Amino acid sequence: MGDVREMKRVLIVDDASFMRMTISMMLKKNDFEIVGEAENGIEGVRKYKELKPDIVTMDITMPEMSGIEALREIRAFDPGANVIMITAMGQEALVREAVMYGAKSFLVKPFKEEHLINILKKLLGN
Amino acid sequence: MTGQYGIEPMMEMFLFETSQLIEQLEQLIISCEKTEHFTEDTINEIFRIMHTIKGSSAMMLQDNISSLAHSMEDLFYFLRENKDKAVDYSALSDLVLEGVDLIKVEMEKLRNGDKADGNTSWLQEKIKSFLADLKIDATSKSVLDSKDHKNEKQQYYVSKDRKKIESSKYKNAFKATIYFEEGCEMENIRAYTIIHNICDISDEFFHIPEDLIEDDEGVGKIRKDGFQIYLRTESSYDDVHEFFMQTLFLKDLILEQIEQSEYEQLYEAKQKKSNHDASNTFRNSEEHSEGNKEVQSISTQQSIISVSMAKLDKLMDLVGEMVISEDMVIQNPDLKGLELENFQKAARQLQKITSEIQDIVMSIRMVPLSATFLKMHRIVRDMSKKLGKEVELKIIGEETEVDKNVIEHISDPIMHLVRNAIDHGIESPEERLAKNKPMTGTVTLEAKNAGNDVLVIVRDDGRGLNKEKILKKAKENGLLYRAEEELTDREIYNLIFLPGFSTKDNVTEFSGRGVGMDVVVKNIETIGGSVSVDSTPDKGSVITLKIPLTLAIIDGMNIRVGSSYYTIPTISIRESFRPRENDIFSDPNGNEMIMVRGQCYPILRLHELLKVKTDITRFTDGIITIVEQDERTVCIFSDELIGQQQVVVKALPEYIRKLNKTKALAGCTLLGDGSISLILDITGLASLKGLS
Repeated sequence: MGDVREMKRVLIVDDASFMRMTISMMLKKNDFEIVGEAENGIEGVRKYKELKPDIVTMDITMPEMSGIEALREIRAFDPGANVIMITAMGQEALVREAVMYGAKSFLVKPFKEEHLINILKKLLGN
Repeated sequence: MTGQYGIEPMMEMFLFETSQLIEQLEQLIISCEKTEHFTEDTINEIFRIMHTIKGSSAMMLQDNISSLAHSMEDLFYFLRENKDKAVDYSALSDLVLEGVDLIKVEMEKLRNGDKADGNTSWLQEKIKSFLADLKIDATSKSVLDSKDHKNEKQQYYVSKDRKKIESSKYKNAFKATIYFEEGCEMENIRAYTIIHNICDISDEFFHIPEDLIEDDEGVGKIRKDGFQIYLRTESSYDDVHEFFMQTLFLKDLILEQIEQSEYEQLYEAKQKKSNHDASNTFRNSEEHSEGNKEVQSISTQQSIISVSMAKLDKLMDLVGEMVISEDMVIQNPDLKGLELENFQKAARQLQKITSEIQDIVMSIRMVPLSATFLKMHRIVRDMSKKLGKEVELKIIGEETEVDKNVIEHISDPIMHLVRNAIDHGIESPEERLAKNKPMTGTVTLEAKNAGNDVLVIVRDDGRGLNKEKILKKAKENGLLYRAEEELTDREIYNLIFLPGFSTKDNVTEFSGRGVGMDVVVKNIETIGGSVSVDSTPDKGSVITLKIPLTLAIIDGMNIRVGSSYYTIPTISIRESFRPRENDIFSDPNGNEMIMVRGQCYPILRLHELLKVKTDITRFTDGIITIVEQDERTVCIFSDELIGQQQVVVKALPEYIRKLNKTKALAGCTLLGDGSISLILDITGLASLKGLS
């Protein structure tokens, strides 16, 4: 059972440090490894290319470069990239666009820890 | 959890970040209001701030803050999309500031470990109606409904069923009903996600509800009846099942294989229904960029991290200990008389590094006064508006730094003083014009370094203090400690700092309850500072706060009396010398005095005052040190000067502090050889002697 490397390296991209902290705490409690954090899309893309995480949580609206643009660049760089969008109520159009551009799923604030962990585990074929 | 052990780290981070954003927002609004124009950047900035607060507070389950932020976000979203709209900026500013205040109140509750249970719906309603009014004369085709976000672009999709349905070349037909997990939200988009991926197993399908985009009720329908997909495919039941099971947030999947005929019937039925509906769906052929040209945020992102105060305090303590230990090594009695050149070199290097560490640690805790000062803009704005006065706030020297602890203690006093200046000091515009003064009054907040202290000065060009009124009130409240003829103008003015004093006839909302000024004084004295006031009738008043910089490590001169050691802060020392007999004399009251270059100073015999035994009682055998503290100069008589060194001030232990004599002592420290030295407080010493 243990020959496949357990996938659990996560990159957190969000311009609010509070959100990064919250997600980070949730993930650490569940044995995920936070390999990096970024506070805007440009940083997010750069760090993705550098760190090649197993999964990315991406805030949908950020300064410098939006979550959607970053999503597109990451997917262009790595077509199999697992990107989960973090959004708030009222942003249906953006979320739809994200799905179109290959986001695997999304979480709507406020979301529970179990939601986040469950979909991460499911996506990474735990 | 919350309560006596402090609030949990997540809440702390939430409050920290949200406070920063709120302050940013406040500054933005106030500066924009002045120019009576909200630039595109500003509107964007405000929108982003509200958006972030909405999200974070929702995560912390603070719904009243979140919904308030949401309504503000909607308002600024509209303003962002309708740039040319004429808006009453004054009313808009008031609205936002009301929101800012509400959120501040709720956050304060959370800080204290209470629930943020305030009612914010009244303001949400206000904002919504403000927005509704704006929309009424909007010429754009935007629909008057709350989901404005949808209107920014139309997404079109062609459903596969535009083609005439043929007898299928596909083996199997299925019906899948999907229920999503409770609370996952935006089920219509989740359904869309499935459809987005369904080409993996089928290119002939339809679904109910059909409209996953425009239909507001879609989410409700999916929650109630599940998301129903009908498809035809070559794949087997197992493969199809596996495909749907990959759906994220899947709660329930019901997969049934159905007859081809059933599929066709249902398809026809659905077609009829769609043709009745007004909504059309076309494939989205162009790429829509969201217009996510997020404008450069005005706020500068500095490289700053937040550090817990507890850790900083610990660091300061350790640095203090390090300085003491360093002395104990370098000045160790074991080394006395030895020629240790290499050791001395190394010791000097160590001292250099220790000194640098000291400087940096002290500077870490130093914080510029700018944040505190900038807050005053809001107060000035609110008060001048309410009282109908024109007031301008000038700020000078806000880059001056003080210890973080100090900031917490002077924020309220400064606020009170500024309020006072506007309430009591600055006259109404008519009054000012009648006096040939400019209509706009000026309140100046200034901060500057003065030796070991920081001076914070609150100045106004108002009517000044009224001597007669002050005297009258002081007499009424029995606060006069001397005959009024003997009081100088300054002393009369400084009566206002006595507890229970107030000359404002009516108690206004802002001041005048007689509990203001003495609270200011108490706060300042707690951090070892002092307050004074001066005034000129009709020209204005000046209130000066003198605040000592952090005392933790000071330069001290060690002296000896008998076998006891004392330390005097070097900054207070003017000079030291051995006196000559003819310079000493006694005044009519029997106090010993000394004449130095034409000036007379009282002499304090330390061995008498502190009751220490020593053989040196003749002046010419000992040393006189002239010290100055709080504009008072005295001469201290001691046995011998030991030497200068940096000392770490440690507070006196509780049991000693309770004894009377401690008025003369500001603290204690350890000398290099391990002996204890008591740090002298000159003012306290002088009062021991009865000099006032």
